[in-house]
Amino acid sequence: MLIYFLKRIGLSALIIWLAILTLFAMLNMIPGDPVSIALGPRATPEIQAAYAAKMHLDKPVLTRFFIFFGNVLSGDLGTDVFSNKSVSLTILEQLPHTIALAVSAIAWSALLGIPIGCLSAVRPNSWLDRITGIVSIGTITVPAFLVSIWAILFFAIYLDLFPVIGAGDEGDLLDLARHLVLPSFAVGLGWVGYLARMVRASMLEVMGENYIRSAKAFGLKNRTVVYRYALKVAILPTITLMGVGFGVLLSGTVFAEIIFARPGIGKIIYDMVLNRNFPVVQGAVLVTVVMYVTVTLVADLAVSLLDPRVRENL
Amino acid sequence: MNKLQGLSRRRFMQAAAFAGTSGLAGTFPGLSFAIEAGKLSVRFNRDMDSLDPGYYVGGHPVNDVNWCCMPSLVHYSDMQSRGWMPAPFTESVVQTDSTHIEFTLKKGLMWSNGYGELTTEDVQFSYDRMAQSEWKGDYQAYDRVEITDRYSGTIVLNQPFSPFMNATLASGTGIILCKAAVEAAGGRYTNNPPATCGPYVFEWRQGQYVRLTRNPEWTGESTYFDEIECRLVTEDETAALAFEAGELDCVQVSSNALARYVNELPPNSRLTTAGALQYMWLGMNTENPKLQDIRVRKAIQQAVDQNAIIQGAYSGTVEPSFGIVSPGLAGKRDSAGYSYDPDAARALIKEAGAEGLNLTLRTLNNQERVLSATIIQANLAEIGINVTVIPLDAGPFWEMGQESKGDTWKELELWLMRFGSGPDPFEPTQWFVRDQVGIWNWERWSSDEFEELYARGIEEVDPAERERIYVRMQEIMDETGAYVWLVHEPEVFIHRSDLDAQFAPSGEMQLAYFSSR
Repeated sequence: MLIYFLKRIGLSALIIWLAILTLFAMLNMIPGDPVSIALGPRATPEIQAAYAAKMHLDKPVLTRFFIFFGNVLSGDLGTDVFSNKSVSLTILEQLPHTIALAVSAIAWSALLGIPIGCLSAVRPNSWLDRITGIVSIGTITVPAFLVSIWAILFFAIYLDLFPVIGAGDEGDLLDLARHLVLPSFAVGLGWVGYLARMVRASMLEVMGENYIRSAKAFGLKNRTVVYRYALKVAILPTITLMGVGFGVLLSGTVFAEIIFARPGIGKIIYDMVLNRNFPVVQGAVLVTVVMYVTVTLVADLAVSLLDPRVRENL
Repeated sequence: MNKLQGLSRRRFMQAAAFAGTSGLAGTFPGLSFAIEAGKLSVRFNRDMDSLDPGYYVGGHPVNDVNWCCMPSLVHYSDMQSRGWMPAPFTESVVQTDSTHIEFTLKKGLMWSNGYGELTTEDVQFSYDRMAQSEWKGDYQAYDRVEITDRYSGTIVLNQPFSPFMNATLASGTGIILCKAAVEAAGGRYTNNPPATCGPYVFEWRQGQYVRLTRNPEWTGESTYFDEIECRLVTEDETAALAFEAGELDCVQVSSNALARYVNELPPNSRLTTAGALQYMWLGMNTENPKLQDIRVRKAIQQAVDQNAIIQGAYSGTVEPSFGIVSPGLAGKRDSAGYSYDPDAARALIKEAGAEGLNLTLRTLNNQERVLSATIIQANLAEIGINVTVIPLDAGPFWEMGQESKGDTWKELELWLMRFGSGPDPFEPTQWFVRDQVGIWNWERWSSDEFEELYARGIEEVDPAERERIYVRMQEIMDETGAYVWLVHEPEVFIHRSDLDAQFAPSGEMQLAYFSSR
């Protein structure tokens, strides 16, 4: 168990290192001079040189990489060139909004998707199964940006139930929650379908196992068999999917953050890429990668606790 | 009343269908504004970069904020006249002759953070600093400020420069900084001015909002709104929907949304055009071997259907352009030196032996420009020129004609360009003089007559003569064959109908002058 944990953590560290390397290389391949884009076309050569020196842009690429990597190890993600604020502080202001959005989206989709999957599996090929199948595929195939538009049109403009833009007043939990509803709905809707289909498929497989047949033969209630024995096993791939899904949502919330004008890590990466504000882009992507890898690691470790067989393979 | 009661099925389906086909949209069965008394919510379409007028990118939204929190001698008066008026920081501003402007500051206007009173020394420091800054072009006629006393002084110009009040002092580069505070901060700042002085103070939350609240130390004229929240909404259509949902009171609209609003304006709403000081054209590199023959360039001028672009790419919401001088300014023309004539264009191409010519057309990668490029591609195909459209992001696009940024300028053939300008025709002409070849004059031509007229236009004070000068300068540009004038995109805002909104001619919001009836 311990060896599995250590191997898995080591693999995660390697993934993070490779991600940093790839990110750094890609940012340096973006066309356009970062100095003139950051300072504007009217900047004098002296100001451009000072900026380049401050950002280490006058140094070779390899040197810049090691400077960045060394700073990251010491917890310094650099300084935002526009606000002169610490990048860490900038990210810390944005990150809670993204986490809240990702958690709420995955939570409501799990609360809806898992029971739908169970219901479908319990009565396969019934009208209920067919309807939930259509609904599930439907939610998967509708583009999330379109869901956002319809949600705004219907819930914000016509019904006037929820606000369109922003994240709400900090310190006012109710206001924060109201601002979270539509983006969370838009981001999570597709996951309802994914989770329902995944749970259904797993459940159908598990429901055919001998121990389930035995449980039924012992006269246990169907409800007990499904939720106490079958779901416990069938949920394992779903946990892995949710782990990966949460990681995807951390960066995938960018469309919702842009459409709903919410602060967040995805939006700040998008804005800062356009501005070539490299320190913030590097810092924000790095934080996203670390969170993605961490969540996936936690999901894998949780599965290994529930199912000892997975510890045999890495 | 529940809003659904006012919503017919047909109307909802229309809105939904529009959303499904063209992105984001909506109609508005009953717009209701949930605006708290004394509070205004407006849209900022991009975040602030730097507020330092010497070293900023300029325009919206930094000017909007600076005009609320920093002093100026003059402000823009109204959108129609594009004139100027003394700002609330002054007792008087008088231009005594063509090179002298006398001013007197109000007493008792205090800088924040304990930096004392606004004085003439601050004015002198600010303009001297601007004359050495990245924006020194605005101050090329500025010589010095002569200090009369603590509150009075005289701006002395080194030559007559008729646009100085409008294009310099009233613009974003005309704001006054606190000498002691800026020096203490090391001479420069970004988004944290070391001292402010104005009716509002601001709080900036990166990527979210700028909140303007009343300055408790302000002793000047009172403003209408206690608080103005400027919310960052980068997506045009989201901003329009937020307006329709009543979350924003004033929003700059895209041409898409404008076309919708022209057909059906939301209830309790009004459209205001702040100006149309952008000018967009199809540029041609006169030094490129494929375009060196002026007959080819003239053929392209006559082949492009300007009206098709206005209708197809802008839904008829923009004005046709006939030059670099925008509507409302001296020198604005009603026609260009050529007209749409594909038969004549084909004849010129045949005469030049350029049938089957392959050209590239580079453009910024946004909806209106790419649509315009596609229409031009079709127009040129009709006269036997094959065009490949190359959409580019801002980074490589803005560098491609600059010699200092690499060799792309040598490969440049056709491109779609849009410049902004101020409320004086001098501003757009400055980018096409000889010194600008390889910087912003990507068409790479020069003319002695153009240079001479440029110098005369700066000094000339007679409006009729200025009109003649700027018309002639545009005729010279026509004659190069390097330009196909396309459109002037307007800065249009939608706002609630009881809001009296004031805008600068260049499209920024003068928020301190906003009020409600």
